Amino acid sequence: MNSSEADTYYLSRQAREAEATLEQLQDDFPDNPQAMQYFYDLFHRVYGQGEIIKHSGKLVGTTCIHAPEELIYAFGATPVRLCNGSYHYDQIGADFMPAKSCSLVKATLGSLQAKAAVPNTQSLDLIVNPTTCDQKTKASAMMSAMGYKVEDLELPPAKESEEARLYWQRSVRRLATRLRELTGNKLTRKKLQHAMARTSRAQTAFRTLHQLRKSAPTILLGKDAFLVTNAYFFDDIERWTAAVEQLNNELLQRQQDGFQAAQKRAPRILFTGSPPIFPNLKLPILIETSGGVVVADETCSANRMLYDMTAVDEWRLNDMVDSLADRYLKPCTCPIFTRNDDRQRRLLQLATDFKVDGVVYQAFSGCQVYEMEYRSIADALAERGLPMLYVETDYSPDDMGQLSTRIEAFLESIKTRKRQAL
Amino acid sequence: MKTIKTAINNIDLRRFRFWLQLFFFALLMYGGYFAIDLGSRLPTFACAFNEAGRGGICYLFPLQHQLGVPSSRLFSWAGLAVLQGLLIFSLWFFALNKAWCGYACPLGTIQDWITALRNRLGIRYSRYSQGQFRQLSRIKYLLLALMILIPLGVGAALLPHEMGTPFCDICPARMVLPMFTGDFSQLTIDFSSKTTMIMTTLGLLITGLFFTGAFFKKRFFCFFCPMSALHYLLSKPALLKLKKDGNKCTSCGDCYRVCDMEIREIADEVNETNIMQDDCIMCLKCVAHCPEPDALKATFAGIPIFSSTEQGFIKRMHKGQKHEQQ
Repeated sequence: MNSSEADTYYLSRQAREAEATLEQLQDDFPDNPQAMQYFYDLFHRVYGQGEIIKHSGKLVGTTCIHAPEELIYAFGATPVRLCNGSYHYDQIGADFMPAKSCSLVKATLGSLQAKAAVPNTQSLDLIVNPTTCDQKTKASAMMSAMGYKVEDLELPPAKESEEARLYWQRSVRRLATRLRELTGNKLTRKKLQHAMARTSRAQTAFRTLHQLRKSAPTILLGKDAFLVTNAYFFDDIERWTAAVEQLNNELLQRQQDGFQAAQKRAPRILFTGSPPIFPNLKLPILIETSGGVVVADETCSANRMLYDMTAVDEWRLNDMVDSLADRYLKPCTCPIFTRNDDRQRRLLQLATDFKVDGVVYQAFSGCQVYEMEYRSIADALAERGLPMLYVETDYSPDDMGQLSTRIEAFLESIKTRKRQAL
Repeated sequence: MKTIKTAINNIDLRRFRFWLQLFFFALLMYGGYFAIDLGSRLPTFACAFNEAGRGGICYLFPLQHQLGVPSSRLFSWAGLAVLQGLLIFSLWFFALNKAWCGYACPLGTIQDWITALRNRLGIRYSRYSQGQFRQLSRIKYLLLALMILIPLGVGAALLPHEMGTPFCDICPARMVLPMFTGDFSQLTIDFSSKTTMIMTTLGLLITGLFFTGAFFKKRFFCFFCPMSALHYLLSKPALLKLKKDGNKCTSCGDCYRVCDMEIREIADEVNETNIMQDDCIMCLKCVAHCPEPDALKATFAGIPIFSSTEQGFIKRMHKGQKHEQQ
């Protein structure tokens, strides 16, 4: 097998995986919103056919939500989130990563190792690697060894203290220096303002979508919501925003028409933990094919990535950059930080706002921090009388049978409780 | 009702504050020309030394005078006058709470103008470190204590009578505010005695510090203001309140980011509902910059009058960006 054939082989295996998921998303559910077609097509083109999304300037990969995208855009570069959800790349990563690493990190590194990876990452000019969990921190040297230029964005292990905040602000400023060297461009107030305005428009669209999901009965399924936010990883930001705004308009119409995307009694699920990343949407899909509906989430592939917005007092470079730094650290509910009060409060508030009946907690095997936080979250939810299903899983499809039994039982128990409450 | 509420929550706070501050500035600085007299128990720096234009008088001036009467008189009928003064002061104060600082105080308004000037010149502001902040924050209580103890000492004939109004002697408002009605006579050193010489020199130095400090640090003087300390001690029963619902807070820190007084608790405290801290000037910028619905709000007698909303936040941020681009 020569190398171009190998490329095609890899491409086709990973394309098959993506197509299988897309097929489920589109065909297993009736009445998908018409505006979702944009996203289905986008994933068909990018994952199925290997289309390269056009970008301007240098291409900067990011491995976590902590890399401030506004800064990257302001330097005329384009960010692309590298976190990967493909089982195919998970297996490639397993060849050179410890067996107990999490699927996400293995798949991300696997895709970087692979030739002709999808979505296209072979022309990365820089990888910004926030030092979040141990596995991502240690991935830095591995990525360098593969020949990528890597910038470690040093993240503090706690976020409450003023020292941590100032340390992080300095890290972000150093990233700005690195990006200036890379692009040869100067950061100006105008450019950063423009970038921030664009991101804030995208966030506004996301927030509208998020609020629309409060509707009971539900008007949008969680599997579609995850696909929308997953597209944000690589799609052109303005095109993405326009597509989400269009989706919002359609959902607004649905709301007025009294449309129901799921059964009226369908258990409303809050999804938390390790992020569902396309094509690994198996858990949300399982929940929704089993009669539940994911109405909200607290994950870094959706809510945590887009929800919190930046406020600036004086629109000068120094204030804007520090404000951005704050926004990427302070509200983050990632379990890598020392405490998790914020995450508990966020989950409880989401549960109240979205009239949630139960919580599904996904932990990728090997993601120790999510595993360690499981108990405290379960306790906090139990205190409110909210049932939680803890699922330890990975990207492999082997546990589908077992998972679907557990999820069905969980949803059934919620339904019974609801019936009894009536 | 709902439309009015939305309109208020969507308000451009920056502009609203600018005009309201200008109104209060005119009232307190030039009201005297229009025969306006709000009395001498005002909980804000309407300086008594701005004799021609003042529309009322800052309470600290009569308070020091009252405390400086001979001790024998103070502990008999003159004591009643002190209590009566405190009562009227409190009533004024209860209405607006610390919003007197953020909206009415002429010295505060001047500092905001200096900040606007700095911003226009493209010069960045400076911030304190948390350690410095905690230390500096205490000075105002020290000044308040001295402001009460020194006149008492004068009354007891332990200190020279020229120190009867020690805080006014060193207060930058005494030198700065009369200038706005064309009176520059306060900008002098009084050589009539050793005490007056020291106090007026100190006053001049502090005024110099006031202008330099306010240029680099937002609301520089407010950290040291004994009026602010007195406010805080009386703030429990005030009608206007700053409330926080910690459950709705995402700890994003946007409120702390924009706070002129660098009050960390506004972002970090999630259990206390009454969130106003001693340095707070109730400018309500935190409410305007909070994207979480109802996480922060100002209430009057328990009724919400201005709440944080997602829509209001987005609107203001959008406007802020545009405003600066021009």
